[in-house]
Amino acid sequence: MNDSLPTPYVHPSSLSREQVAQIGAELDAMRQRVMQSLGQADVDHMRRMIRLCRASEAGGRALLHFGVGPLSWLAGVAALTASKILDNMEIGHNVMHGQYDWTGDPALNSQHFDWDIACDSESWRHSHNVVHHSYTNILGKDRDLGYSLLRITPEQRWKPRHLLQPLANLLLALGFQYGVGSHDLELGRYRHGALAKPVFMERWRRFKAKVGRQWFKDYLLFPALALWSAPRVLAGNLLANLLRNLWTYLIIFCGHFTEHAVIYREEDCRNETRGDWYLRQIAGSSNLSGGVWFHIATGHLSHQIEHHLFPDMPAHRYREIAPEVQALCARYGLRYNTGGLFRQSMAVMRRILVHTLPTRVSTPTPAR
Amino acid sequence: MHTASPNWAEHLSRPVRRLLDHPLVEGVVRRAAVEASLRSLHPMLSLGEVRARVLQVVQETDDCRSFVLRPNAHWRGAQAGQFVRLRLEIDGRRVQRAYSLSRIGRHTLRITVKRQPGGRVSNHLYEQLQAGQVITLSQAEGDFVLPALLPPRLLLLSAGSGITPVRALLQALRGRHYGGDLRVVHVSHDEADFIFRNELQDPALHHHASRRQGRFTAETLQALLPDWAQRPTWACGPAAWLEALQAARPATPAPWNTERFAATPLRPLQPLGAAVEVHFTQSRRRFASTGHTTLLEQAEAAGLAPRHGCRIGICRACQCIKRSGTVQNLQTGELCSEPDQAIRLCVSAARSELQIEA
Repeated sequence: MNDSLPTPYVHPSSLSREQVAQIGAELDAMRQRVMQSLGQADVDHMRRMIRLCRASEAGGRALLHFGVGPLSWLAGVAALTASKILDNMEIGHNVMHGQYDWTGDPALNSQHFDWDIACDSESWRHSHNVVHHSYTNILGKDRDLGYSLLRITPEQRWKPRHLLQPLANLLLALGFQYGVGSHDLELGRYRHGALAKPVFMERWRRFKAKVGRQWFKDYLLFPALALWSAPRVLAGNLLANLLRNLWTYLIIFCGHFTEHAVIYREEDCRNETRGDWYLRQIAGSSNLSGGVWFHIATGHLSHQIEHHLFPDMPAHRYREIAPEVQALCARYGLRYNTGGLFRQSMAVMRRILVHTLPTRVSTPTPAR
Repeated sequence: MHTASPNWAEHLSRPVRRLLDHPLVEGVVRRAAVEASLRSLHPMLSLGEVRARVLQVVQETDDCRSFVLRPNAHWRGAQAGQFVRLRLEIDGRRVQRAYSLSRIGRHTLRITVKRQPGGRVSNHLYEQLQAGQVITLSQAEGDFVLPALLPPRLLLLSAGSGITPVRALLQALRGRHYGGDLRVVHVSHDEADFIFRNELQDPALHHHASRRQGRFTAETLQALLPDWAQRPTWACGPAAWLEALQAARPATPAPWNTERFAATPLRPLQPLGAAVEVHFTQSRRRFASTGHTTLLEQAEAAGLAPRHGCRIGICRACQCIKRSGTVQNLQTGELCSEPDQAIRLCVSAARSELQIEA
């Protein structure tokens, strides 16, 4: 795919076993150092984010309910969108990774946290934490790869339905919360009989329950409370959810499907050591550059590489270790895939469009 | 365990809590948000937590301070001899420690904290906790309490900071105008570290200063009080000391009640010599662990099927709460002996007997 162009970077598989072990040890040491320095400042950061999120939601809903005129409506939508984005990205995603489990605070416990999105947290903990983070970018294993909907690499078998990929992509972006929510249903596997009916029904029940609760809140309860302003509130909630969907879609797609993100085959990853696993995370992820608030708005998924290396490290610490990870990559000649949001998202869109047509694997993936 | 029944505050707040926990309500407003809002209105306000304001700090000895607390309306009251678990956040981490109540007033209670060398919580309380601050605590727990019908002879026995529940028991006995034959024996290094020396001017009290008078053993007690084994006894002190006394005590029908401090955990650096028992409290299964592989593997080898995910310490699907015991994190080598800590079965090995909520 992208390997056709000569690049100044080495493919992870061309490193020697000693180098791989060395990289593993260096990254382990980096992790250890940060994890030992966790303390009050980290909890304070998360609590500040939670307060900000709550205040923003309250303010946004108040503006939608009691505001007069289109400007207050727009401000309300903006505040509600900001609150949902903070809740999903910086708070929910990170807390549910267990980044704050060390605090012992039940409000920050990964197994009990729930978020303001149509995706049930229990399903997400499985599809994201277990499947995606263990099998990052392994074709056939990582179900986040194209979300079982899109073809983003020539290694994926082309089917005629991929011709409609640009449309499917647009629909996924608009309804991203339902895409994430239904992800763990594994509808495809269920239809082929690879998923047992009771397992599927249990997941289906959880999915319906969570979507129902979200609809009840945003499209029934709050509009009803607004009485005659119901249409204003309903439209505001709808738009806030939509904007949040687009933002999360954009950030998440820029994390793994950019131009140079490497896709792996199952056989590449047998007998993987900790060092190999780290290398796969680096090669399969891409960062976004930006300021502090940009990083917060992405839930620090703009530091996707650091996040995939250390998924249970409090995310606001990625900023401080990113230069070290980048230096390590430079030392071993590895690609540290980073760029601005515009460039990276254009690369993703191009990749999706290119693979709409039956592309071929241009160069064989180097054997280990 | 004796715990008092709910009071009016809980009868009022329970329906609110139940409402907030309803899935439809929870999706709109989270209980944590309600609690946080109440707390910012007033630090003592809560829907269920017992919180207490520190009214007064009293220096008892060189390394021991008492804290007089006024609890909020959720407090159900306590019996003499019981303890509360203090919940604190130290450096971002929630910790809790049990402290015996050393006095129970109508609207106040008192805990007494002796600094332990290297003790994170006791030193934090001693140094940081000041009048005016608000702390969170549990309801009173423990069955180191007096019976409704008091026996004609009694012995209260304590060593070091073990005097704290004994102090409350003595207060309760005096409050109930106990007319029987009461003896109180307290052991400390010397007069200077005799906690409550000034307030304990009780004729029944005998103080033994071990630095001057030698170690206090069963023989010392026998010489002091020949009928000690026949007396119903309430004893509080270091675990090893209590065990030695109990071993030397002839078998008698008189009850022997103890409250002991937690034993120091073992810290072996190698795999365990002998197997230890691991108890999964929710599935009610027990198995033996030799500590040389992870708890997840050992549980599976024993035929259990704990919930798990990646098996390499990433996803936390196997995370559960360790109620007691020591585990070692195989990734970091860290030992964890704190009660009620979240551990991951796939990267933790047993280092002592364990109670795990799984």
